[in-house]
Amino acid sequence: MKHATIEKSIPLMSILTLLMVMVGGLVEIVPLFLIESTIENVSGVRPYTPLELKGRDIYIREGCYNCHSQMIRPFRDEAERYGHYSLAAESKYDHPFQWGSKRTGPDLARVGGKYSSLWHQEHMRNPRNLVPESVMPSYSWLEKDALDYADVGDRMSALSMVGVPYTENQIKNAIADLEAQATPDSDTEAIMSRYDEKIPLDNFDGNPKKITELDALVAYLQVLGTMVDFSSQQAKAQ
Amino acid sequence: MQDHKNKIDPNSEVETTGHQWDDDEGYPLKEFNNPLPKWWLYTFYATIIWAIVYWVLYPAWPLPNGNTEGMLGWTQKKQLAEEIRVAKEAQKPFDNKLASLSLEEINKDNSLLQYAISGGKAIFGDNCAPCHGSGGVGSKAHGFPTLVDDDWIFGGTLADINETVQNGRTGAMPAHLESADGAFTQAQVNDLAEYVLSISNQSHDAVKAGRGDTLFHGEASCNACHGDNGRGSLKDTFDGERLDKATGAPNLTDAVWLYGGSRETITQTIARGRTGKMPAWGEGFEGFGRQLDPLSIKQVVLYVHSLGGGQ
Repeated sequence: MKHATIEKSIPLMSILTLLMVMVGGLVEIVPLFLIESTIENVSGVRPYTPLELKGRDIYIREGCYNCHSQMIRPFRDEAERYGHYSLAAESKYDHPFQWGSKRTGPDLARVGGKYSSLWHQEHMRNPRNLVPESVMPSYSWLEKDALDYADVGDRMSALSMVGVPYTENQIKNAIADLEAQATPDSDTEAIMSRYDEKIPLDNFDGNPKKITELDALVAYLQVLGTMVDFSSQQAKAQ
Repeated sequence: MQDHKNKIDPNSEVETTGHQWDDDEGYPLKEFNNPLPKWWLYTFYATIIWAIVYWVLYPAWPLPNGNTEGMLGWTQKKQLAEEIRVAKEAQKPFDNKLASLSLEEINKDNSLLQYAISGGKAIFGDNCAPCHGSGGVGSKAHGFPTLVDDDWIFGGTLADINETVQNGRTGAMPAHLESADGAFTQAQVNDLAEYVLSISNQSHDAVKAGRGDTLFHGEASCNACHGDNGRGSLKDTFDGERLDKATGAPNLTDAVWLYGGSRETITQTIARGRTGKMPAWGEGFEGFGRQLDPLSIKQVVLYVHSLGGGQ
């Protein structure tokens, strides 16, 4: 078919353009339908607890992602420094995910449990108290500002619409669960039965009297990358 | 726009596409049909061939059950495993020597020592720096000791540092104030603080310090751990006997302080006590949720020993 023929016939050109766009569309869209086969089948990944979810919102609000990625790539230097490379399954409940490769600060995909909550409190107050060469800004207001968590149940409902499997029970008890996680000497049986035995429980901000934004943020940081047990054979196979 | 097929432009003798605009003035704008430069065209063909070869050799097209795997069977995960294997292979001669030699022997072998220190530095940064600071500078605010000076609490020999890392240490300074389950009044605590200020050559109230002296060597028996001269369990004696260095009672007569040497901080330390905790990293301990393997411990001990204060 001569190019001049196509160029001069609007209907023919429209049909051929449509076909071409469809090929491009299929290449981009078809993998999305096959995503189930892309996500590794590992156990342990659960939706965030209400407190962790609020912490994640603060993480996004403060723009932490501008300097910190949450994606350990399968390279030796990254595996040696940060641990096992990230699995797709580990961010399947993240909306939006926090992947990336721009690292002004270190990758945080497996920062959970690496430092104590005390360390995080001091570090948020002034990072240079602990890491003299750090260029991270101070986030000292987080430990002063009370956490506004009246809407956490609504946020969980919204996430459940895009596929995060929050149960009705979890959404209904969101506020009680949030308070329990930040108050480790309270009754934590209920939240542990609703989420997981090994959820982090702590006075994350070091102040038992008040639930602050720092409580939420540190709770979120303390769970990152800890859900999959990489010592198990099943995870090793991935 | 007019359409004239395959005309040759008379001025340049180049074929035109026949598209022509604005010729009312006699200087028409024409679309030349210049061929693509050969180098460009062949590069373009080469990239197409490259793509096809790539599809055959490497993972490329998504399929309903995964993707085409390619003839080379390459994956990023295999490459990572291979890189780690190669690195481990290269480290093996060093690691084997590290494992078989004692800390003292490694300390004498310069090339092996440099290897251990480089490894120890990375291990320290990952595991110890959160409390002891990058480079081991410590933190007075939380009583994490600095590791870069030659002032030690539990000893600075290789064996001492190894013991500290393997089994951990716990500070055992009891609380003395009545309201904190101690046996002394606020006034007595203040007297003791003045005495500590006096033996560390700071400004103090001599009368109070005198009363504190009596308490220190008497009722409060501070000297049982800190020694008769307050020089700490590493250097001092109690009743003529060397103190047990595992007590970890610091020297109170120098200018190096774990929590701070101001009147307020010393009073606070005596009143409420201090129970700083160094977690155990050796095998069989789970105090900190993590462990270091024996080889890592050796390296980190040699690194800390090399920081400036090793004895």
